[in-house]
Amino acid sequence: MSNRLKLTDILVTIVISIGFGILYKIWGPLYYAVKPFGINIDQLIYGMWFMAATVAFLIIRKPGVALLAEVAASSGEFLMGSEFGLEVLLYGIIQGLFAELLLMAFKYKRYDLLAVSMAGISSCIGSLILDFYKGYIGDLSTWNLVLYMTFRFIGTILFTGVLANSIVKALEATGVTNLVRTTSQKDFDSLDQ
Amino acid sequence: MECITSVNKLKLKFPEEEGLLFNDLTISIRKGEKVLLLGPSGCGKSTLLQVLSGLIPQSIDIPIKSESIQIPDSWGFIFQDPDSQFCMPYVDEEIAFVLENLRIPKKEMTGRIKELLATVGLFLEDIHTEIRTLSGGMKQRLALATVLALDPEVIFLDEPTALIDEEGTAQVWDTVKAISKDKTIIIVEHKIDQIMDVIDRVIVFTHDGKIMADGNSTYVFSNFKEELKRFGIWYPNAWEEYKKEKVQNTFTEPSDHMLRLQNFRGYRKKENAITLEKAAVHSGEWIVVTGANGAGKSTLLLSMMQLLKTSGDYRMDGRPIKKFADLQRKAYFVFQNPEYQFLTNSVIEEITYELRQRNEVSNAEFVKKANDLLTIFGLKDKQKQHPYHLSLGQKRRLSVATAFIQNPQLLLLDEPTFGQDSKNTFKLLELLQEECQKGTIIIMVTHDLNIIDHFATRVWEVKNGKVISDWKKDEIKTGSEGNVYEYIF
Amino acid sequence: MNISFEESWLHKVNPALKLFTLTFLFVFAVTIHHLNYMITFTLTVSILFFFCTGQPYKHLLLFLLPFLLVFFSTAVSMILFGKGETTLFKWGLVNVTEESLYRGLHLGFRALVFAMMGITFVLTTKPVQLFYSLMQQLKLHPKYAYSFMAAIRLIPIMFEELQTIRDARKVRGIQSQKGLSGVLKSIKSLPIPLLSQSIRRAFRIAVAMEAKRFNSSNARTFYYHIGFSIYDLLFIVYFVLTISLAYFFALEFPLFPVTDVRH
Ligand SMILES: Nc1ncnc2c1ncn2[C@@H]1O[C@H](COP(=O)(O)OP(=O)(O)OP(=O)(O)O)[C@@H](O)[C@H]1O
Ligand SMILES: Nc1ncnc2c1ncn2[C@@H]1O[C@H](COP(=O)(O)OP(=O)(O)OP(=O)(O)O)[C@@H](O)[C@H]1O
Ligand SMILES: [Mg+2]
Ligand SMILES: [Mg+2]
Repeated sequence: MSNRLKLTDILVTIVISIGFGILYKIWGPLYYAVKPFGINIDQLIYGMWFMAATVAFLIIRKPGVALLAEVAASSGEFLMGSEFGLEVLLYGIIQGLFAELLLMAFKYKRYDLLAVSMAGISSCIGSLILDFYKGYIGDLSTWNLVLYMTFRFIGTILFTGVLANSIVKALEATGVTNLVRTTSQKDFDSLDQ
Repeated sequence: MECITSVNKLKLKFPEEEGLLFNDLTISIRKGEKVLLLGPSGCGKSTLLQVLSGLIPQSIDIPIKSESIQIPDSWGFIFQDPDSQFCMPYVDEEIAFVLENLRIPKKEMTGRIKELLATVGLFLEDIHTEIRTLSGGMKQRLALATVLALDPEVIFLDEPTALIDEEGTAQVWDTVKAISKDKTIIIVEHKIDQIMDVIDRVIVFTHDGKIMADGNSTYVFSNFKEELKRFGIWYPNAWEEYKKEKVQNTFTEPSDHMLRLQNFRGYRKKENAITLEKAAVHSGEWIVVTGANGAGKSTLLLSMMQLLKTSGDYRMDGRPIKKFADLQRKAYFVFQNPEYQFLTNSVIEEITYELRQRNEVSNAEFVKKANDLLTIFGLKDKQKQHPYHLSLGQKRRLSVATAFIQNPQLLLLDEPTFGQDSKNTFKLLELLQEECQKGTIIIMVTHDLNIIDHFATRVWEVKNGKVISDWKKDEIKTGSEGNVYEYIF
Repeated sequence: MNISFEESWLHKVNPALKLFTLTFLFVFAVTIHHLNYMITFTLTVSILFFFCTGQPYKHLLLFLLPFLLVFFSTAVSMILFGKGETTLFKWGLVNVTEESLYRGLHLGFRALVFAMMGITFVLTTKPVQLFYSLMQQLKLHPKYAYSFMAAIRLIPIMFEELQTIRDARKVRGIQSQKGLSGVLKSIKSLPIPLLSQSIRRAFRIAVAMEAKRFNSSNARTFYYHIGFSIYDLLFIVYFVLTISLAYFFALEFPLFPVTDVRH
């Protein structure tokens, strides 16, 4: 059983992620449309942008998938002509890296709600760091900043944890995940019946 | 002669399945042989092809065991689905992808690409043509060109012509014949009529993955004919014998309901994609729609089902049909690609899906019907399986079977018999015939001339997005002159 | 996107170099805290966007619409809720100060410039060329490059698939419900079949690629040779020149009386 990424893993990850990239692209205008309402409700839907990493990881369960997925999704979004332009690539790399690091801390052994929610939160922290430099969010009034971060964290858990987990559960029911997961020793042994 | 690919005592089982698909199967293929693997649908032919090429377990992770296995050094594989075997958007880039893998220098590439395209008879104005603009037949020929680029010792072909028109099928096999001289060719195919002169060895499997017969084609087809017939496997002249035994389907009396179409047009992306000038169809008619790949047959059926935008006068029993809702419960459609149709996670859920939608699962009569259909189509012991994990022929049968649960007045079927063995083809057609005689209007796309001959009462020919002819089998003339059609425009 | 257009000189710039330069400019733009310079910098990029992508103006204006939305929405939230001393306007939680106004404008221009750089790149680069260039200039592993190209080929197929899934559901008797709950229901039921179809398709393509001897070796030749040309020099010189000019104009003829928008 090898943990290296095979061509099938890579291609599947990238296809899923490009799909998310398209979704991210649609998410952009939506995000900007709710933004002027103030009080930062836009941050509630920000978590969507961390989702590719956790969904792909839950499906393929191998090291490197989360990072690859987030980079591929942001490239997809970028190539679709995103309103954020090059910014998405940078955010994608950082968010993917942060998610990957957290999953690594779990030794890639946990595929549950907690692990992916934490991975999402990790991505979220990555994105906030970038926001401090790029978006001057440190210059928001304090109450506004607190709201901003709280909303983003809540949204993150909803999207990368709860939603991603339920999507992959539904996918598992369709049997498609068996394609990319290694067969167990049990299956192998059952050949000697 | 030396052996080029073989496997000794192969055991193979799909994860989460009960029994073994292969139990101690031994097979060996010698260099230069042209082999046809024949067997009932679902017996494991496609799977075996993947084992012999090494795709299982190298690329597809399925547990296997064997005492010894020999995989050819160089081989090419033509898959059944033309759309899922290309990775680049343009024709030249796709072939170049293979040449790059083989490290052919760039300056030789364009020449090689042109040469390969000429070998398979794919003549394009510009080699930089988008793959998605090609028809099914052209796509399979491109696939053949990419395989030839590998200059393989062995070529594996898994039903490469299942979705291709007569002309395209002939082209593909002619090409195979032309290139096969010193190559080993292993073919899985149900439509065997056109390949009899390509092959020199036939291996027949039973439904449980054992070898029933193995030898040259004359030997197999003359000594095992009874078995082939009993197991429902195609053999030359199967259709002729069937036609002799069964009476031809004829159009009886026009009765209660009918369709009327006038100046009917279907649109794809605002462009007129199909035109039907005028037609009246009565209940009990069985119309076969034919035409080359890409002519617009599927488009016609989609339009008649109101899944595309349409214009013109379209009436069913006098009531105008303007949108999909006007046809709900009255018409049913079977898609060309069976996978499109699957909505649930098991065969049994799939077949009872409509019943559950209408809260009629408790209706014993319907449940019995669903069970009967599964038995008829040999899917009874696959009930719990996921529809996507069926063999190609099984998928097709399941998607067609769902049509029989309801009693639609109009049944539209897009190539319902592709990839079937003879038993299932005939059963399926007979069921359709029953429906037809109960008064259902059947409109179906097929490339199979035998179906036109024996079952259809009427033929529509589609060419370049237009229904160009409408022939009716004339009841009066058939008696004396055989199958004569009357032109009714 | 399948819009007909003319190829401009920007199309001939080496894709990897183009990406690299724009990434550099992206980082550069983040370090600009001077509102006037931000504005003149935006101008240099917009010249490329408007005159050098080879797209008809109708399309460019269409692309511009969402960018303006980005501009306003980014600017507005900082303007209304940013910190600052010199209050211009106050109403409840809303506190518009001179500092937050300028900072908001600055952010708006920054977002606009990112967007225009991105779209200029996308409009003048073919994905296949980009990935060949990345393989040749930046030694991107072919496994990733070809997976990307295959995935991009699948995008239109995925959209068609979405339509087919909807059709199939209709045929199988799922009445499309009207109103919000109907829309929500269909949003819920479409992604799973679409995702599982895409995964299956991706898997099949990967198997087909391996069947074509991909992966057997890392060394390979290339059908497209992506090299460097005079246009690459032109591209770099353009930015060196215009950015210097922009800096000069920003200092000499300031539009707004601020230098650093940070707090
Ligand atoms: N992934 C899978 N999981 C479980 N069972 C499978 C899977 N793929 C195939 N099968 C089963 O294995 C059997 C052999 O399938 P295979 O595709 O090899 O049949 P085939 O002989 O090629 O049939 P056809 O002529 O219909 O194409 C079938 O009964 C099928 O239901
Ligand atoms: N989803 C689509 N979008 C746009 N054009 C399409 C689409 N599907 C098919 N076409 C085009 O419409 C024309 C008719 O296609 P259609 O699928 O109806 O042909 P067909 O007669 O069913 O062919 P086949 O025998 O290969 O199934 C073709 O030129 C095809 O390229
Ligand atoms: Mg098969
Ligand atoms: Mg068709």
